[in-house]
Amino acid sequence: MRLRIATASALFLGLATTAAGAHAFLDHANPLVGSTVSAAPHEVSLSFTQNLEPSFSTVEVTGPTGARVDAGKSQISGNTMRVGLKPAGPGTYHVHWHALSVDTHTTQGSFTFQVGQ
Amino acid sequence: MPRLSWCSRACALALLFICLPYSSALAHCFVGARFFPATLAIDDPCVADELSLPTVSWSKTGDVPPAAEWDISAELSKRITDDLGISIGDTWTQISPPGGPKMAGFADLETTLQYQLLKNDDHELAMLLGLIFDWGGTGASNSGIGTPYSQITPTFYFGKGFGDLPDDAGALRAFAVTGQVGYMFPTTSYNVALNTYNAQALVYGGSIQYSMPYLKSEIRDYQLPDFINHLIPLVEAQLTTPTANNFGNSPVTTGTVNPGVIYVSTYYQVGLEAQIPVNRASGTGVGFLGQLHLYLDDMFPHTIGQPLLGGSGAAPRQPSF
Repeated sequence: MRLRIATASALFLGLATTAAGAHAFLDHANPLVGSTVSAAPHEVSLSFTQNLEPSFSTVEVTGPTGARVDAGKSQISGNTMRVGLKPAGPGTYHVHWHALSVDTHTTQGSFTFQVGQ
Repeated sequence: MPRLSWCSRACALALLFICLPYSSALAHCFVGARFFPATLAIDDPCVADELSLPTVSWSKTGDVPPAAEWDISAELSKRITDDLGISIGDTWTQISPPGGPKMAGFADLETTLQYQLLKNDDHELAMLLGLIFDWGGTGASNSGIGTPYSQITPTFYFGKGFGDLPDDAGALRAFAVTGQVGYMFPTTSYNVALNTYNAQALVYGGSIQYSMPYLKSEIRDYQLPDFINHLIPLVEAQLTTPTANNFGNSPVTTGTVNPGVIYVSTYYQVGLEAQIPVNRASGTGVGFLGQLHLYLDDMFPHTIGQPLLGGSGAAPRQPSF
């Protein structure tokens, strides 16, 4: 029995010929997901559990009026994605992100944070 | 049909690994921002590249006096295309009646063909059709662990996350439900050897689950300990109700309700549940169920973790907001 289990395990592992990758989960954000901050931040940064593929990972931020307030293209380095914000005052901000990890797994999500309330 | 040896079973499981694909892969059960974990008692609502090895359960049967039962099973799920998948699994069972001889052996080999009907990202809704086939005569039918006849169960699966509730719903948005309902019918209606009828039955179940990962990344980050942020507490139920051709057998619905928790990591998940029988016919006392589940698409994204056919080799589509 032990030999059979070992053989099956070896077969399984032998077929695993490439490096592992994984889905990129949002690990933490700044401002924090669901948090309230006293003043509007200058940028939103998102840290993921995996490195990102810059060409296919994006973030969009909308301000209290529903208009986009992200300024320019998101900057991606390793597992971190950040985007600058235009001044938009107090209220609820929505962050929508779409991430492609370097092994082509896609994930997406969204969250809000409050400013000055 | 002759019984399959352990080697034959291992070869059958390995066969799916050998047919390695060369196309790009996406995910296990992600629907929008929602991740449905592989539940232990029922199936999740997605085709996937996953391996449950092992699933271990211990319980006491509903016999008088009750017998102790161990079940150790393995199941491999493999996508053929992005929307079509197949799984193959088997269970080794040992039943120990008090004062009597132990019975042990494999249950019938089980294969399932699944087709992904729907994945709606905005509403975190997934639907799946499945055709479960228990191959009669492949298990230890002499000891009653397997059956000499096959059983076919067309099954509908669904999953729904509540992330599309208004923001005012707050932490309630981390809830999700999954379920399945199938109709099992045997390929022969009468068991000559045992002089019994082979009943048709409704096989159904569901889960309600609360995703701490979802709470942290979509609703509010309470900066809880990392371990807590990987947990999905849940309650599962699995039930069987005889519906036809049940002459002389018990008409009682049997099943268990399973409270438990799943720890979700990057490449695997570990689940542990209690098994509470819904009535005396379903078992005696509380049992347990544990499972190690591997995400093959994350572990081996360029080989085993890809669909066998038809994956898009092209670069992923640029998302547009």
